[in-house]
Amino acid sequence: MKRNRAGRLLALLFALVVAGIFAATITPEHYKVEDIAFPPNMPPQVGGVAFDRDGALYVAMRMRGEVLVAQPHADPKQFKWRVFATGFDNALGIVVPEPGRIVVVQMAEVTEAIDTDHDGVADKYRTLANGWGMSGNYHETNALVPDGKGGYFVALGTASYQGPTFVHTRGEYSAFGRRGRNYSAVPYRGWVMQLGRDGLLTPYASGFRMPNGLLLDDENNLWSSDNQGDWKPTTPFYHIQPGKFYGHPSSLVWDKNWPADKDPLATFRQDLTSYNALRTRPAVEIPWEIIHSGSQPIQIPRNNAFGPFGGQILLPDDSRAKIGRLMLEKVGGQYQGAFTLFMEGQGLQTRNNRAAFSPDGKSLYIGQVSGRGWGGAPPGASIMQRVRLVKGAPFTIAKMEITPTGFRLTFTAPVNAAGAEISSYPVQSMIYQPRWTYGGAAEDKRDETVTAVKVIEPSVVEITLDAFRAGRIYRLRLADALVSATNEAPPDREFFYTANQLPSR
Amino acid sequence: MSLRIAAIAFLLVGRFCLSAAESTAPAAAPSWLDRDKSYPYLDNRPLGSREQPLVLRTFLPNPGLEEAVFANHRLGFKAFAYSPEKGVDLAGTVMPIDGIPAAIAVSYGADLSIVFDTTEGRLLYAWQGGFLDLFPYWGDAVTRGAMVQMDYVPRLIGTLIYRASQAHPLEIDGRSVSELGAPQFAGYDLVKSQPVFLVRHGKFLVRTTLQPAGPLAFRLTFATEPPARLSYRNESNRYTLTQHQAAAGQLSLTVKGASLGEYKGYERAPDLKVASIAAGRQLYQNFGCASCHNLNGAKSNGPTHVGLFGREQTLLDGTKVKVDEAYLLESIKNPNAKIPLGYAPNVMPPYNQLSDLQYQSLILFIKSLLQPEEAL
Repeated sequence: MKRNRAGRLLALLFALVVAGIFAATITPEHYKVEDIAFPPNMPPQVGGVAFDRDGALYVAMRMRGEVLVAQPHADPKQFKWRVFATGFDNALGIVVPEPGRIVVVQMAEVTEAIDTDHDGVADKYRTLANGWGMSGNYHETNALVPDGKGGYFVALGTASYQGPTFVHTRGEYSAFGRRGRNYSAVPYRGWVMQLGRDGLLTPYASGFRMPNGLLLDDENNLWSSDNQGDWKPTTPFYHIQPGKFYGHPSSLVWDKNWPADKDPLATFRQDLTSYNALRTRPAVEIPWEIIHSGSQPIQIPRNNAFGPFGGQILLPDDSRAKIGRLMLEKVGGQYQGAFTLFMEGQGLQTRNNRAAFSPDGKSLYIGQVSGRGWGGAPPGASIMQRVRLVKGAPFTIAKMEITPTGFRLTFTAPVNAAGAEISSYPVQSMIYQPRWTYGGAAEDKRDETVTAVKVIEPSVVEITLDAFRAGRIYRLRLADALVSATNEAPPDREFFYTANQLPSR
Repeated sequence: MSLRIAAIAFLLVGRFCLSAAESTAPAAAPSWLDRDKSYPYLDNRPLGSREQPLVLRTFLPNPGLEEAVFANHRLGFKAFAYSPEKGVDLAGTVMPIDGIPAAIAVSYGADLSIVFDTTEGRLLYAWQGGFLDLFPYWGDAVTRGAMVQMDYVPRLIGTLIYRASQAHPLEIDGRSVSELGAPQFAGYDLVKSQPVFLVRHGKFLVRTTLQPAGPLAFRLTFATEPPARLSYRNESNRYTLTQHQAAAGQLSLTVKGASLGEYKGYERAPDLKVASIAAGRQLYQNFGCASCHNLNGAKSNGPTHVGLFGREQTLLDGTKVKVDEAYLLESIKNPNAKIPLGYAPNVMPPYNQLSDLQYQSLILFIKSLLQPEEAL
């Protein structure tokens, strides 16, 4: 079949325009990802990463529970690993209070392991806390972070219906707690506990499903993500405050204020109004499509050795080759904020589970895990990677802040002419209602109308929305035409702002 | 590929720690790592040695301990089966399985293995001739570490020689330490690599050390602070006790046990002569397929296999493909070849080391999944 000349010309023109757009923008490599070499045959099982004050890097391996240690080397293939401690079960959190002394959370307890005779290997293992139940379900794993007062916060994951419980449990067994997809059959599953320096373990906050990683930021705020699933339609990011309930009902059976004859799952399945009244909303909600499984949040050092995001929090994806970045602010006395992808691919592997920044703040060490054994990881999969800033800073929104009528966007560099166009800032909004079902889709989706764009400074833009409302998640997708004044494209064009509250005018 | 298989085979046969003949390295340093730069992690039948006992915390089996031994545990009981799709309880029930949640296993080599429980604060059982088969929990090189769903408690290997019964056999001033209140596990020391368990019974801190002591026997050493008169009750007339030393706060004795049972580890999927749905179900369980591909029809990390066969599947790139034997086989061997819409690539590992009969059995089983299996 013959195509007419006009059609061919049009196609040619279209191709030229498309090629022109892509040739004009650049995406330089700002961060470099390197694989850290481990001894051969080591499966990717990283359950904890921490530095001691001398700069030695400790890595806890989840399943069989070795803790390896090495002095970081400029060459990622030259780490000389040795074993510091062994014998932990599901080691999924490590803190190194001083060289030669580690604190590990394992399935059964928080354990301190000390090298008392200074031969480089721990010889004294002491139980710091074990005051929670174990049903025998494989899913009951934990996370650990210092509380800033000489003690620790311990996050206790729930059990999964994909595994059984044991005939003999450690701790009281609750039939109400046992019900549902993810459940809390034994005490304090689905809670964050505080372990005081006096050794006392007290319940701190409830309603978690699988809080796989905790962060205490440099202003003593406690943060965690949670795994999307039943009662968790998104990947949430929580500012954890004492006494609050964060939405997964099963854990309530261990709340002394919850009536003993009341099934929390049945209660809230029927009554979402009471449920919504009781729960504390996430500071940020991240659609599951964007982050599958949030793992350990980590704060970027403020010395900006890792780029212009000092003080912000990164959230790795335990499932996919992604690291998210959170931009938080206090509105009406509570934290809320925005999310975008910091990195996707670029050599980064999937299964990003635990992370730590090197003491100089230049390198992010990110450890990878795979299932409960070593499933899920292709042969030769990386165990740990190092991410370093190699050049400049990416062009992106460094700070997304809410205003009474929309958002103020502070870019890392001046925007191009398209930055002044309304068409560069398409915004949608949506809500997510947690339910007993697994996950959940966005509801009440709306296309928002951007009524004004104002370039305040070359790299600061304010956008105004028509009928701007609280209680919604706003998705901003920067149009392709918007690049930096030097034609650099952002690593991710999507930004999600969780507007729990609007600032007062 | 054959080199890789050979390497894995070597690792599976090889031992986690040095064998007794090789273990001349300094006691405290697990030198196997530096020695050959190799890390025999894929060994799911690890073994310690007399010089370097292997301390392993994991779920542990219950080889028929009597109820009285679990005095400080609580009972789990059957629960309603639950449909995450419907969000309701189902007619079926889920039975609890046998296992010990918070104990510590130690392998002193083929001469002795023990389980010390942190909840009961005592030795629960001892065996000889092997340690644990961790296949149901850790999987192996072929299953890439998938656990056996609903049945992941590791299994014993060897001859059971001692099983605890009734109250704690250690007595302080003539009374069982069980009468001093709930035991508080405090941790353990590695003294020249030998674990010494620490448990508080009332005001007493009791240290317990174990050692191999020949056929059917092991040596037990107790030390108590503050010092008090220690004695040990024989728990069975099938055991013989030989006391070596008793001073205030000290007691050392040999327990000669009896042959109480033989254990051979976890029973693997049979060597197939013919493909079958039953073998496919067993493989499905061994490989942990159901942890991502539910049998109850629910969406998980992967699509459910219930009612999948014969349907048209839309792929990530928008094309459609019919779910037939060839598609299933390709998806098992090379999961990234065709990703169904709504799922992420690089989540499922390739399973390309199975035999043809095993693949056929898996496909037969998936084909047989017409209705959701509600009661797990």
